[in-house]
Amino acid sequence: MFKYIIRRLLQLVPVIIGISIVVFMIVHLAPGDPILMMLGEDATPEDYARLQRIYGFDRPIHEQYLRWAGNALQGNLGVSIRQGAPVSTLIYSRLPATIELAFVSVVLAVLLGVPLGVLAAIKRQTPVDFFSMIVALLGVSMPGFWVALMLLTYVALNVGWIPMFGRGGSIFNGFWQLITTFDGSELYDGLRYVMLPAISIGTAMMAIITRLTRSSLLEILGRDYIRTARAKGLTERVVVFKHGLRNALLPVVTVVGIQFGAMLGGAVITETVFAWPGAGRLIVNAIQQRDFPIVQGGVLMMALIFTLVNLTVDLSYAVLNPRIRYD
Amino acid sequence: MDRKLGILTLVLVLVFGLGSIVTASSPDTIVVGSGAEAVGLDPRLETDVPSFERINVISESLVTFDTQMELVPRLATEWDFSDDGMTLTFWLREGVLWHDGEPFTAEDVKYTFEWVLDPDKAAPNRALYADIGEIEIENDYLVHFHLDNPNSFLLNNIARMPVVPAHHGERDDFRTNPIGTGPYKFVNWSRDDVMNLEAFNDYWGGEPIHPYVQFRAIPEASTRLLAFEAGEVDMYQGGMVPQELPRLEDDPNIIVERTPGTGYSYLGFNTKVGPLADVKVRQAISRVINREAIVDRVMNGIGTPGVSPIPPTLPWFSDDVYDLGYDIDAARELLEEAGVLGEDLTLRLFTNENPDRIRIAEILQFEAARVGITVNVTIEEWGAYLSRIQDTEDYDIFILGWGGQLDPDRAMYRQFHTDGPNNYTFFSDARLDELLERGRTLDPTSQESIEIYTEAQQIVVENAPYGFINYTEEVLIFHPHIEGITVHPYSANTWQDIHLVRKN
Repeated sequence: MFKYIIRRLLQLVPVIIGISIVVFMIVHLAPGDPILMMLGEDATPEDYARLQRIYGFDRPIHEQYLRWAGNALQGNLGVSIRQGAPVSTLIYSRLPATIELAFVSVVLAVLLGVPLGVLAAIKRQTPVDFFSMIVALLGVSMPGFWVALMLLTYVALNVGWIPMFGRGGSIFNGFWQLITTFDGSELYDGLRYVMLPAISIGTAMMAIITRLTRSSLLEILGRDYIRTARAKGLTERVVVFKHGLRNALLPVVTVVGIQFGAMLGGAVITETVFAWPGAGRLIVNAIQQRDFPIVQGGVLMMALIFTLVNLTVDLSYAVLNPRIRYD
Repeated sequence: MDRKLGILTLVLVLVFGLGSIVTASSPDTIVVGSGAEAVGLDPRLETDVPSFERINVISESLVTFDTQMELVPRLATEWDFSDDGMTLTFWLREGVLWHDGEPFTAEDVKYTFEWVLDPDKAAPNRALYADIGEIEIENDYLVHFHLDNPNSFLLNNIARMPVVPAHHGERDDFRTNPIGTGPYKFVNWSRDDVMNLEAFNDYWGGEPIHPYVQFRAIPEASTRLLAFEAGEVDMYQGGMVPQELPRLEDDPNIIVERTPGTGYSYLGFNTKVGPLADVKVRQAISRVINREAIVDRVMNGIGTPGVSPIPPTLPWFSDDVYDLGYDIDAARELLEEAGVLGEDLTLRLFTNENPDRIRIAEILQFEAARVGITVNVTIEEWGAYLSRIQDTEDYDIFILGWGGQLDPDRAMYRQFHTDGPNNYTFFSDARLDELLERGRTLDPTSQESIEIYTEAQQIVVENAPYGFINYTEEVLIFHPHIEGITVHPYSANTWQDIHLVRKN
């Protein structure tokens, strides 16, 4: 197991180098110029040349890459052109919000999606099943931004304590505060704010999980060993949850992992609608402003986190199914 | 396990059930919801309007524009140009304190402008101040700017550069943790979320009425509007959804203030390429711009039809110019005179992803087809679009806009002088160059200045390097419980007097 993890981590090295080169080339070769965007309306060609020199964009591109990569190796992702702050600080300040939103969305989606899927599978071809599948179909069909706007118009506008936008306290700190000092105020404040964005993102995911759980469980429940379990007189509850669901969850975990990773960088639209200060918006704004250091550093960080999440998912297979061993 | 879960659920239910907090903004705090986040708070480094909206609350310039676009004293109480126009003298306000308690003096003024002019510093707006030669301090409250070239409109540029404290200006984090002389002190900033400011009780203009001001960046216009209607923000600014305006104006619980702005949008013609080198063809296309329809239907009545490069808010504006208003028959005649009517004329029009501009491009495509011109529209992402217009000559027609046109020099020299840095149409006219150079040396309040720029506008409009589309309008929306705010034609200055705003 330990060896396996080391091997997987070593495999990361060429992946990260590859990503860094691709991202660097894309941002530098695509049309658009950070200095032009920064200068605004009043600049002269002399200003342009002066700033190119100050920011080092007058150097050959391979030299720029090597300098950037050399700094990145030492943990220095450079300084934002537009904001003047170190890129690592900027990303670090945004990651908690992004992870929190992704986490709450996943928890919501799993807490609703798995039971609904199980219910649909064991009550197959009954109104319960049809209802679950309609909910799931609606969930995948509604675009996230639309769900967001509906939630704002019909929920937030009418329920006084649900805010329209922004982020409250950190729910992780809040949870810690709750269990250490029994003070739930920060958790409450955090949840109030994260609720609607998490529902907007989580809806589609919940729908996918419901459908996947249902089909996966149905397939497992048709297997021979389930028949054996029933034949030896186990209660239906033990058959479904201990023997069935545990095996049926493997594909669900894979999808949850991939979705969680994708949310880290891909929740931009929801982040924009709810003015959620996440990393996705930081990077998209940086792309629009051609703030190269943030784009390069941000994409690199996202890629790193995504691969680490995938590794965690792979390791969790062994927990769900003891027959899977890594060595 | 089940019991633990039960307890957790109970706790959560209790916590939520007890929640009686309502999200409306607190009575101590004025909450501004704006469409875009600031890039930074160092006046020497920023170029975008959202940054200056916030900077102008924390920091102050020597002079500023009031809501009538008149220059009024701020950190300078008086100013005067020498008779030869080569020295600009400022008498500074005494008893002004920086937020850290240090006194404001001429040293700070000299420091700020010398920093901006230093070629080794990264000030993007250096060109605006390039005519300043030497800055001489006579005493703590008297400072002379000796100019290398006469520049009558330099004051307008100085009005756009708040003064930075010499004793903090070199600090690395000044851009995200600034010190100023303005009515509110910077407290903290969580980018893309909230910026908190606190009243500066030693402000020279008197103690601010409310202890706190909060800027919230809410990029999505519909969320911003809902948050405003729910009372979470007190004032709404930026990126109005035009379709919503009629409804808001009818609502007695909402105040909508509008004023003509300082910008306009236009069609630019590349005067170097084929048929557009002919002034008749440019005039013809200008005549097929259905300006009224664009203002009414695309902008929902926000703004007015464009006439000339100077916005109607400025005294130099003249509509005594060659008539290039919407007229399909006149356009056909012009094309016939140019000898291209009935020929297969195809032109490439470029625009960025701005939805209003895309709709304008579609209207233009339709109208141009009526006189036999095929317009192919290409929509590009802003950064790529900007590079195309600024770095290449690879376009026929483009849609762009100018904002913050605070004087005729700013509105015309860069765009239409043969050597102007933003002359994307490659237009050149000897008489116009002469007028624009002369205008810079004249007293802006003189009749001669008005006459010169009237003639310059006539030359530009008649030769049609631009087809003017519409003038902008500034819109500010707030609740009736807010008193003492007025919409500003130059939106960067909107909140400069927010210490006088009362929230009931």
